[in-house]
Amino acid sequence: MYAWIWRKLPGATGIKLVEAALLVVVVVALLLFVVFPWIEPTLPFTDPTAGS
Amino acid sequence: MTLGLVVLLFVFYELYVTSWFSARKQTEATERLHDRWKDETPRRMPVKPEDGRGFAQLYIPALGADYRYTVLQGTDQETLAIGPAHYTGTALPGERGNFAVAGHRIGRGAPFGDLDQLRSCDALIVETASQWYVYRVLPMRHEVADWASRGGSSSRGPAKPDAAGGADQRAAETRCKGVAPIGGPYAEVVGRRIVQPHQSEVILPVPGKQGAEVPPERRTRLITLTTCHPRFSAEKRLIVHGVLTKRYPKVSSRPGLRPPELRSPEPGEG
Repeated sequence: MYAWIWRKLPGATGIKLVEAALLVVVVVALLLFVVFPWIEPTLPFTDPTAGS
Repeated sequence: MTLGLVVLLFVFYELYVTSWFSARKQTEATERLHDRWKDETPRRMPVKPEDGRGFAQLYIPALGADYRYTVLQGTDQETLAIGPAHYTGTALPGERGNFAVAGHRIGRGAPFGDLDQLRSCDALIVETASQWYVYRVLPMRHEVADWASRGGSSSRGPAKPDAAGGADQRAAETRCKGVAPIGGPYAEVVGRRIVQPHQSEVILPVPGKQGAEVPPERRTRLITLTTCHPRFSAEKRLIVHGVLTKRYPKVSSRPGLRPPELRSPEPGEG
């Protein structure tokens, strides 16, 4: 998967590096601020209340 | 590999990112609470707290001199993400019955992350608009039997007759003043216990009892803190019970006044 993305990125190696880094940042941000807060309430890890 | 990275990122999110969010929300809630306290003329009767809003502050000097959290009303996930949350319907600070508060053990600022560190007689101080309430952690289960003979000294073994032991004991007596096993219908109410998640009876006015045993006007003024146990899991619940030992009315002309129990370390504390 990663090799395929690398091949698809346009430009020279230097530009590809920058694009890849940007892509990583976007994916991480999406996970941290959208996906995780959304799926978290359905996971049973952190409920500290008694009787639920 | 991708899945592993995502899981790692999720752990990072749970432990740190949620805490950053929560720290900001907690600060905002505290500021709003202080603003409200400034505006309100202190009333003697407790004001009914509004859902999702801060109404009191919890200090636990044993967990750090700067340990202070604004306690909010209602135990929904959104409120718990801001700070320790008061179970709606349980007693208010200082009232007869059980002032019950839940808090996260990990992530979201983990206000109750070190709740397992508390020893008997540690102060749990609650500040409201008009009062300071000093609760203290009840004797642990293993301390109950010989509590009277050890002079309330926690986890130090029986008091020794020599001078040093005597000083130790006196210090512990100050710290543990007003703390003793309650007994009777409260026999199961000890400093710390681990229960199953469904055991909501720990936050009842008389924990574990339906309440008929003790009429409301004779109930002990308790505090109960609940959190996850073990850490990183929600398999069980860690419960800390405390009893009200002292109260100080706030003096509006001297807003900086703090109860002596907020000094750290307290006498008799190791």
